[in-house]
Amino acid sequence: MNSMDSTKGKIGLKELVAIIILNVGTKVADNTPTIFYEAFGTAAWIGILIIGLISLIPILLITKLITLYQDKNLIDIILHLFGKHIGFVLLFTLCILQIFTNINNTSIYTDIIGTMYFSKTPTVVIYLLLLGVAAYGAKKGIEYIGSSAWVMLFWICLSLLVILSVVFVQGEFNQIFPILGTGGLELVKGSYQNSSILMDFLYLALIASNVKSATIYKKGIWIGFVIILLAFVLSLIGYVMLFDYYGVRMFDYPYHETIRYIEIGFLNNVELLFFPFWLISSFIRFAFYLYLGALLFGAVFKIKQFEYVVPALAVFTILAGLIPESSVFSMNDFRVIFLNLITPIFLLFPCLLWITAKLKGDFKNE
Amino acid sequence: MEDLTTLKNKAIDSNLEDTIEILKKFYSVPLNQDIVIRNFSISGLDKKATVIYINSITDSEKIEEHIIRPLLTNNSTEKKLENISPAQLLNTHENFSNILQDINNGNTALLIDGEPKAYIFSSSKFQGRSVEKPLNEVVVNGPKEAFNENVIDNISLLRKKIRNENLIFESITISKNSNNVLYIVYMKDLADEKLLQNIKDRINSLDINSIQNLSLLEQYIEDKVKSIFPTILSTERPDRATSFLEDGYIVLLMDNSPDSLVLPATFWSFFHNSEDHYLRFIFGNFIRLLRLLALLITLFISALYIAITNYHVEMVPTDLLLAISATREVVPFPTIIEILMMEIAFELIREGGLRVPNPIGPTIGIVGALILGQAAVEANIVSPLVVIIVALSGLCSFAIGDMKLNFSVRLSRFLFIASAAIFGFYGMTAVLTIGIFYLVSFYSFGVPYLAPMTPKYISSKDTFFRKILKTEQYRPGYLKPKDIVKKKESQ
Amino acid sequence: MNNIKRGSLMLFFIFLIPLLSGCWDQTSIEERAYVVAIGLDKSKSDNENQIQISYIIANPEFSKKEAMTTEPPMETITFDANDINVARNKANTVVAKEISFNLLSVIIVSEELAKDKNFIRWMYDATKEREIKRDTPLIVVKEESTKFFKQNQPKLESRIHKYYDLILKYASKAGMIPNSHSNLGRYYRITQADASLFLGIYGTSEKSEYKRSEEEDNFMAGQIEIGGESNKVQFMGSAVFKEGQMIGTLTGEETRAAVLINEGLNMGSIIATYKDPFDDRYRVTTRILQKEDIKIKMDLKSPLPTIDVSIPLYIDILSQHSMVDYVNDSEKRERLKQSIEEEVTNTYNKLIKKTQEEFKGEPFGWSLIARKEFLTIKEFEDFDWMETYPEIDVNLTVKVNIGNFGNQSKVPELEEMRD
Repeated sequence: MNSMDSTKGKIGLKELVAIIILNVGTKVADNTPTIFYEAFGTAAWIGILIIGLISLIPILLITKLITLYQDKNLIDIILHLFGKHIGFVLLFTLCILQIFTNINNTSIYTDIIGTMYFSKTPTVVIYLLLLGVAAYGAKKGIEYIGSSAWVMLFWICLSLLVILSVVFVQGEFNQIFPILGTGGLELVKGSYQNSSILMDFLYLALIASNVKSATIYKKGIWIGFVIILLAFVLSLIGYVMLFDYYGVRMFDYPYHETIRYIEIGFLNNVELLFFPFWLISSFIRFAFYLYLGALLFGAVFKIKQFEYVVPALAVFTILAGLIPESSVFSMNDFRVIFLNLITPIFLLFPCLLWITAKLKGDFKNE
Repeated sequence: MEDLTTLKNKAIDSNLEDTIEILKKFYSVPLNQDIVIRNFSISGLDKKATVIYINSITDSEKIEEHIIRPLLTNNSTEKKLENISPAQLLNTHENFSNILQDINNGNTALLIDGEPKAYIFSSSKFQGRSVEKPLNEVVVNGPKEAFNENVIDNISLLRKKIRNENLIFESITISKNSNNVLYIVYMKDLADEKLLQNIKDRINSLDINSIQNLSLLEQYIEDKVKSIFPTILSTERPDRATSFLEDGYIVLLMDNSPDSLVLPATFWSFFHNSEDHYLRFIFGNFIRLLRLLALLITLFISALYIAITNYHVEMVPTDLLLAISATREVVPFPTIIEILMMEIAFELIREGGLRVPNPIGPTIGIVGALILGQAAVEANIVSPLVVIIVALSGLCSFAIGDMKLNFSVRLSRFLFIASAAIFGFYGMTAVLTIGIFYLVSFYSFGVPYLAPMTPKYISSKDTFFRKILKTEQYRPGYLKPKDIVKKKESQ
Repeated sequence: MNNIKRGSLMLFFIFLIPLLSGCWDQTSIEERAYVVAIGLDKSKSDNENQIQISYIIANPEFSKKEAMTTEPPMETITFDANDINVARNKANTVVAKEISFNLLSVIIVSEELAKDKNFIRWMYDATKEREIKRDTPLIVVKEESTKFFKQNQPKLESRIHKYYDLILKYASKAGMIPNSHSNLGRYYRITQADASLFLGIYGTSEKSEYKRSEEEDNFMAGQIEIGGESNKVQFMGSAVFKEGQMIGTLTGEETRAAVLINEGLNMGSIIATYKDPFDDRYRVTTRILQKEDIKIKMDLKSPLPTIDVSIPLYIDILSQHSMVDYVNDSEKRERLKQSIEEEVTNTYNKLIKKTQEEFKGEPFGWSLIARKEFLTIKEFEDFDWMETYPEIDVNLTVKVNIGNFGNQSKVPELEEMRD
């Protein structure tokens, strides 16, 4: 009855950009900035630019492949290029990585909610609600995740803009000096190690076939990429202006410290005005993550109706995420190591795909 | 009974007496008081004849003047029956069931001895209201006619606004026993065939004895019966129905319904009001803004109060916080009970006020609520702020004109209240996010509920705010109208 | 299907239970005791690890419309505790409600504790407490904070949080105390950066010997004689913190000077008086505006690092008792300008000398400007601003621009009037 639309199940440019912004952009509001300040000091904003530059190659290659194989997503491309067996191994690896990332991230976000806002509520309850809502969204499917993201995008961006403008007024600009932070070589090295921050752009290729066309996909990726870099640069400058590089390194979650610190007019405590927007973007983010996890799982184990995997995956994520005893230490540290670990995959995997496609001679058909 | 049902499908006999006997049986004459069977003979032709009609739904004078008298005073032996009587001859039937249906519709059947058929003359005259002012969708600016229970009047009101041969009133009988007729109204050159077919399929699949009016029909054909959100719009304003028709929507009309159904409906069609467009661009958007505000206040304010006073007290400016804290000290109930008590009281007063047999009932209700609130405060049962909050949320809900959306909002408000009591802002945001996921995946006759906001379609982008009239150039693309452009950009 | 329905109904009821019983983080608004001010003192016991903590708890009854209660506006409790966080639980032995820091307006520390080498440890405990915001102002008082609280009885602002909010706002506008940004967040930030000195607000309720000074504001708190029945508490001057520990004080005028050349602390207009060059008996009252930023040039790479500071001041003359006609006489105006420039330069030189010799660090936030001269954090840290600052040669030039002369610019010829 609902399938009157020929484009059903497909998302447009707006929805794609919204998904990208909410999924990668939300990282400015978790512990990612702390990783940056640890590595780059005052030059965190330069760091993200270098990361952007490094990531340019894999993202470019991926979009090249997507436009080459119209109507195919990353799973189809992998299977096409490497065949059943190697393809299975690769997909399996991707799947494991994705689920791991998800467990890691959800437990960090649960910790944020727990330590910053609901300190007496048991972690498991917070976790259940977080993933419960996300699973509901994930089960609905990608086009609805995209639509929801788009509906809320304006408000979420507005809240970030308000925060940033207040921060830029209340902060001290001079604190972004020394401009090069930890120094030239450190910058490059740190950027390389942490460039898997943008790993999501690889995962985004999984939904390429759900986008209306490859051109829209390409456009969306680049628009999203630029906006995310911008958001990262501005927020990283903002946090340092407010707390100085030394102070901001001490925080686990600079965004939340920021919204606790700033004042707007007669309101002294504004953090709870911004907390709901952050929460919504987190819900949508994890809905997308769960969707991706289910999609990959379905691809690996040949489950057509992979949406039904979502609840099981959510339960598994909660169980796995609850294992580490104190998530601030283990999960945050784990995340740093994990990020460094998967960087080569993020950087090399697209190259591998591209070279294989080249050797297969698929580019000649262009 | 058995033989009556079989008789129904039989052709009538050429023997007048027999036929009359059978018809009498059908109508249980003389048990049935308003059935008129008049026997007379047609002069000139010199034949016995009988007219049968139901006098409560027919125009007796018309029958007397235009059917019976000409037949009685006829001199010619040649003339055909059609030419003797000036009344409009609708049809001739041989079948009992058809004759009965026409008589039931207020027409008159003429039976002539020796002819195995009945002549049906139009003579219906149902009692009903005349065209009056709209009661629920009141506007200050703009036409003040409303639909009434007489479908012919309603059709006329629509025809008056669209003088175009492409405006189609297709009629379908939708119930078996009561023979209720539904009119599907659409612009032939605009409405999407698939959509039309979809609606017709849903209607044709019904197998029901009686559907009295559109409010009941709506529940048979809507997408999700158990959803908190409506998928079909009702409007009692012919001007509103017209503008929907002109955009390619499909409108349903029925006898006994002082309104029309518009489908498919998006969230925006419930949110909008015809006055938005009758007022100038800025004024119109101002009332949209007010309505949005009212919607948000109704939805969230009680829940916010609970979340803030129980979980997030730091948000409140210091002096207010101390003031709330002071007034709460003497109240024996937790905030959630306090709010629920007042909210339910307010809903009860509202419902009670509606049923007060008096147009000022609702007003009395609101005043009553406020007095009750005041007394509750004096008695230390609730704190004064709660009265303000509940009264505000109640009053703001009146700004949402559409009754169905009004209900949706008032009900979802309780969801937010409950979630705020359990988890504060976290719970509220969770419910909100689920609500958004739900709304974007919600369809009305295949049209996404939040279109054209998401997913995107070509349209005039009339969502929360409207555009300048000149730039509203397109019909909504989600309806797949045959012609998308409704006006060219003027210089 | 039926099972699922029944299951969800069960779930619904399970969720209903907490509704009635109240949830984990839920505490009703009226079941909280709102601490408006925290006072920290040295513990009177021998235990070095303990401090004496005072809470001022606001009485909400006082905010009621029918406020004719006989209850006092606040309650003060004092006790020894290991840290601020433990104190919260300990307080519940006397306070009937859950202690909440949501309305915390100030943290007040006695000078004695602030000068303790362990002071920074107590301060960092506050970062662990979620409800203590980093924008809480930090005030150092001369006496014990308990005594300060006892003496602090504002006559008109009996709601104590309002009193703190307002007095800090307007006193810092007048430039008597460091800007209201001298809060916990700034304290942590400057202490962590370990390059500049932090200025905390200084106040007292003790009257020290009155110092009748020529200059209007060269006082510390407690040195101004204020008649009438006003509150005994005064806020003036600032407490200087180095590496998180208090090392000295600045007077009101020094504070204002320090604030003026600190780029990070923008202030509105302030009123100050200067010597009248034509008549020693009188002083000229002026309003100082900072329309232009201060220009600070640093040369740190040379073996003898120098800083050139040029301070542009816009001065409106508000009153001058000498009745000299500055409005029409440009020469006289020039002399007034020179005289003010000299006086200001003098003040600054004294202040800079004090910081270089006495404090061995600067409270002007110059370390931030110095950072611009370095490319990497390592270079800057190697330079060690705190250590180097006393050696740096600071050249200061003041440039005064005289603006208007008040609403009524002309003054009558006094001699003529007396004729």
